Amino acid sequence: MPLFHISGSERFAYKAKPLEESRRLIGDFPIHTVTQEQIDAVDPLTYEVVRHRLAAIVGEMGDALKRMSGSLVVTDANDFGATILDENGDSVIVGLYNTQLAACADMATKWTMENRSRSPGIRPGDMFLTNDPWVGGGLHQNDVSVMAPLFHGGEFFGWTMAICHQVDLGGVSPGSWSVEGRDVFWESTPIPPVKIVENGQLRSDIEDVYLRRSRVPTTVALDLRAKIGANKVALERLTSLISKYGATTVKAVMKRQMDDAERRLRAKLRELPDGEWSAVAHQDSFRAGDRAIYKIVLTMRKADDRLTFDFTGTDREVEGFCNCTYAGLRGGIMPVMMAMLCGDIPWAPGGIYRCFDVISEPGTLNNCNFPAGVGKASVGSAWATQNVVSECVAMMLDMHPEHRKSLMCVCCGTWDLAVIGGVDQRGAPFITLVSDPMAGGFGARVDQDGVDTGGLHCIPMGRIADVELNEYSYPILYIWRREEADSGGPGRFRGGTGGSSCIIAHDSPIDRVHLVVSATGKALPQAAGMSGGFPAGTQYNVLSRNTTVWEQFAAGSIPTTLDEIGGEKDVLQQHLETSLGRKDTYYLHWQGGGGYGDPLLREPSMVAKDLATGKVSTRGAHEVYGVTLGSDGSVDQAGTKALRERLREERVKGAVPNTSGDRP
Amino acid sequence: MSFVIGIDTGGTFTDGFIASDTGQIASAKSHSTPPDYSRGVLQVVRELAEAVNMTPQKMLGQTDHIIHGTTSTLNAVITGDVPLVGFITTRGHGDSISMMNLEGRYAGLGPDQIQNMSRTNKPPPLVPRERIEEVNERVDHKGAVLVKLDESGVRASVRRLLAQGVESIAVSLLWSFRNPTHERRIREIIHEEAPSIFVALSHEVSPRLREYSRSATTIVNTQVGPVLKKYLIPLEHELKEMGFQGALLIMQGSGGCVKASNAPADAVSTLGSVLTGGIVGCLHLGDALHHKNIISTDMGGTTFLVGLIVDGKPLTTTTMVLRQHQINMPMVDVHTIGAGGGAIASIDGGGNLRVGPRSAGARPGPACYGDGGVEPTVTDADLVLGIVNPDNFLGGRKKLRRDLAERAIENNIAKPLGLTLEQAAAAIYAIQNAQTADLVRRVVINSGFDPRDFVLYAFGGAGPMHAASYSADLGISEVVFPLGSTAAVFSAYGLAASDILLTAELSQPANFPVDPEAMNSAFAKLEADLAARLASQGLQLSQVNYLREADIRYTSQITEIPTPVPNKLLSAQDVTEIATTFATVYERIFGVGTGYRDAGLQVITYRVRAVGALPIRPALPDLQVPQSEARPVSVRQVLLDTRKGRQATAIYDSRQLATGSEIHGPAVIEAPTTTVAVPQGSSGVVDRLGNFVLRYTSIA
Repeated sequence: MPLFHISGSERFAYKAKPLEESRRLIGDFPIHTVTQEQIDAVDPLTYEVVRHRLAAIVGEMGDALKRMSGSLVVTDANDFGATILDENGDSVIVGLYNTQLAACADMATKWTMENRSRSPGIRPGDMFLTNDPWVGGGLHQNDVSVMAPLFHGGEFFGWTMAICHQVDLGGVSPGSWSVEGRDVFWESTPIPPVKIVENGQLRSDIEDVYLRRSRVPTTVALDLRAKIGANKVALERLTSLISKYGATTVKAVMKRQMDDAERRLRAKLRELPDGEWSAVAHQDSFRAGDRAIYKIVLTMRKADDRLTFDFTGTDREVEGFCNCTYAGLRGGIMPVMMAMLCGDIPWAPGGIYRCFDVISEPGTLNNCNFPAGVGKASVGSAWATQNVVSECVAMMLDMHPEHRKSLMCVCCGTWDLAVIGGVDQRGAPFITLVSDPMAGGFGARVDQDGVDTGGLHCIPMGRIADVELNEYSYPILYIWRREEADSGGPGRFRGGTGGSSCIIAHDSPIDRVHLVVSATGKALPQAAGMSGGFPAGTQYNVLSRNTTVWEQFAAGSIPTTLDEIGGEKDVLQQHLETSLGRKDTYYLHWQGGGGYGDPLLREPSMVAKDLATGKVSTRGAHEVYGVTLGSDGSVDQAGTKALRERLREERVKGAVPNTSGDRP
Repeated sequence: MSFVIGIDTGGTFTDGFIASDTGQIASAKSHSTPPDYSRGVLQVVRELAEAVNMTPQKMLGQTDHIIHGTTSTLNAVITGDVPLVGFITTRGHGDSISMMNLEGRYAGLGPDQIQNMSRTNKPPPLVPRERIEEVNERVDHKGAVLVKLDESGVRASVRRLLAQGVESIAVSLLWSFRNPTHERRIREIIHEEAPSIFVALSHEVSPRLREYSRSATTIVNTQVGPVLKKYLIPLEHELKEMGFQGALLIMQGSGGCVKASNAPADAVSTLGSVLTGGIVGCLHLGDALHHKNIISTDMGGTTFLVGLIVDGKPLTTTTMVLRQHQINMPMVDVHTIGAGGGAIASIDGGGNLRVGPRSAGARPGPACYGDGGVEPTVTDADLVLGIVNPDNFLGGRKKLRRDLAERAIENNIAKPLGLTLEQAAAAIYAIQNAQTADLVRRVVINSGFDPRDFVLYAFGGAGPMHAASYSADLGISEVVFPLGSTAAVFSAYGLAASDILLTAELSQPANFPVDPEAMNSAFAKLEADLAARLASQGLQLSQVNYLREADIRYTSQITEIPTPVPNKLLSAQDVTEIATTFATVYERIFGVGTGYRDAGLQVITYRVRAVGALPIRPALPDLQVPQSEARPVSVRQVLLDTRKGRQATAIYDSRQLATGSEIHGPAVIEAPTTTVAVPQGSSGVVDRLGNFVLRYTSIA
């Protein structure tokens, strides 16, 4: 069924409103506020003491979530968020976790205040749950947030909020990644904010509604308790902070933290040259069988101390599951802002948001309307948005002698999604996301290589589980897990390498493992390089049927290449749901980061070292870097000079005149 | 008469403490002597002999045992002065130690560094690619052999490594702790090729699930084992030459010690020992003072260390981060959470006053050291506020320059913020105290406890100046400042009072309900192993206790919780009770209602600690100062509380304080190695051992 307008769905779509209008919607609800004089009155000592304590509280929330959760994506990969927000629902501080999630917390709290304060009411001891990407509080339905209102002296003071990625919340395909999906009705049904905790008690009716949809309700239930627990920790600590310093002081510090972030980001922007930068992200395929290419277009303008992200020219939303809502669009901007512009500025999104405008037309790929499919939003159009924002911000930073050191070329161009499920070696059902692609390559920097298998742009503290932990938990065996040569974008400074895993089903009582694959970035590379640097390689996945792995094992050897594995190789398209039999292997090769500067300018000894350590192949060293080595592995200086000369000449011959006219 | 000696080698000083079975004690302090730390150790031995009026020969001849904590292994790792190591692992998995589960990019970094993400990097791999050999062999999670060991391939690998000149080889294969036959056979092959080379096998060094940290631990052990051997053999020889016939024991990070000859095989466990001396000191002092729950805070010039003693036992951990590498090691849980007195005060880009996390370190140190430091530090603020006497820093060993401290604070903080010098210094002091409270609270709460249930012990050069303030913030009601006979050499005292402690562990992941027979056989194996290792120490022990625990978690959580297990033959009922104990511990840490049995439980690792009590334990003597009322030696204007400003403050000399002396804030006690701040609203009394015990009367 084609995408069509569903009457009444608009009210779930977040829209920024002037404060007065928002307050009018909230109605007669006592709210704690402070005046500008009270904000100014906070002395430097109190500011620093309370600010530090707020950061400690968010850290404690994160600690609590991580240790209580039952999902590897939370515990190992730090794919979660913890936030404190003020009485207007603005984010005061976010933890160093998934910064995509940090980007949309405020949307959900604002929506909840505007729509729930009259009925069912927001009272002390309540908590609300949502996973509606239009409301915010997550980029796709797997991101479930639990928000807790904080009251002081009968007045509403602010919010704490915990968000985690849940492994499965229903929908057609395991993991809720419905690769055949055409709209949101193929996916997990979004839950708008509902009162999950009332007067301190978990509501079992609401919990049942929530868990009923999941294939792994016990895991989801444990995570729900983790989120409630994290909020409880934060509420207790904030309450004692208020009782010590007074509500006015604590609130004034919260406001000042946002003002501080805004002022410092504006100051940094003023130091950068005004200008306009643009980039395009092409995504190949939005659902199984789809062979089209879609583009997100960004023109980023910087004037004085303000940025504008203008997405005019972006394609219309499509049938498939890779669109994203406005929450995803913000989730594409915020991680880059934080990592590259706010490395030394407080992570107070409420202040950072005041420094930029967004121009985007509803109904487009990264600002889609209900019921466009968004099951893969976080690693679909939100990720592609992140890539173009990353490119534009890096190009801007590159113009400043000092600030350019903070730039990275695009990190790990797309997410190599693989969900496995079935029956584990103990006879219990399981579903999990293969977390290995979390170890993507970081983009190169202006003065050094990108970090090899360094992580993702949006998760400062990503982590992958040990091979043994995966083999203990799930019925699979790793034939290898390694870094891959040539996966980092070549450049004067090389992008960080990505890696690969090759797995085979092992020890499942049903002798097979269900597999859902969704990985774009195969038709064209997505981790762009800059200043003459090359992009990182494309995404590559191979399913090999009827391999000879077990025979080779029995004969005492271990294959190390796809050719050695044998069987029939199927180089996969982007999306597929299938299963792995006993003799079938699945190979995931996730991406590296983009390179910086012309690879022909790379110091030849660094190429020799890359070759010795397996970061670059002989062919890559020769054809891309123009480096030839002697038999002892040292650089052949004369040969390298000649080869680089020849490669440059070939470039000149191969040049194609630019006929488009409007872009240099 | 028989002696016991504790010697603690730190980065700057080597401390010694001696006690006899007749109650005599003495101490000595000397500079550490890197790279050959043994010279400092022998110097301290000579000074101790002088202190007990004996020749070194006579003293050593009567010494039952020496317990030695050494920084030599940690120093070797930090300076990279370690032997060339080769690494052998399963084919297809040689990149594991450079991928570092990707967490190596940020592990152990502070939040400020992590936030500045585009500048983070992984450390160089523990072993470079050219010395990593992958061999054909594979064992699965059950311990079943899927690919048999390719022996000729192993031999070729070993030869390639030897040709590169490696001095030791680490072997870590997937699932080796479930089936160690391949690792053992590889060691045989290595020794066939090179009989004397140092080899470490991962299933022996750290038989735990998770290959990355097991491999990293094995490699580091391979690096420091030969270092420790090279250090201990000559040291033991020289001590024997000097007449020592007792046992030389080496402190481990676990808070207990082992015989020197057994230490190198498990050398990695000495890496944490430099951190543990203070905790062990608190443990024994706490025993004497009947304190069961203690927060130990050791704030020195460059570091701030926090550890917990709960119910009379130090809290332990199972891992540590060493230069961004994840290392498995059962050790006393000591958190390095701040920069101590050297924390730099600065104005950030937003015009806000920050204290730390940057540190002036030992060089150039605070501005007042006069060694070239120009940025103001916490120590500079302490000096400007009058808390520190510039002539009594480190017992007068270091003269402090007040003018330089004032200039640094004036120029860098006061002027830019429009504050007076006094206000700026007071703000630095108050921020440092509040942040310390935040960090200590997070440590205590994350361990599942409430700081209000603890007594806080404050030591180290800078700790006692700040402890009364941060303890009040934590809601603690009693603070102990060890000022007695052990004050200057607190951790050496801790060493001298230590026990023998051996740990054995084994990963054997299983889902609950676990077969009790599987648990019984795991514990029986570990205890038999420990009994054999204890016997091989060849020591006279007055008592041996075994403590069992199992690391348990809800299915697929990342963190296991060490759960106590009863010391008996376990039944199915006992297994159920272990699960209940786990749930209780879990809810204590994370809050009631957070546990969720339906998710299922998994046991991952079994562990047993054997604690052997040594025959002599030093007893602390009562204070010898004649009874008298506490009398101040002077009065000066000191600022101890930002709300009260500068006040006329009584200054006491700790050496003149007798048992029962009462001191009321505002006051300052000057001791040979530190200064105690006693703010208004608190008061304290000197106990029979000479410790100053502070309580609050009205402070908030």
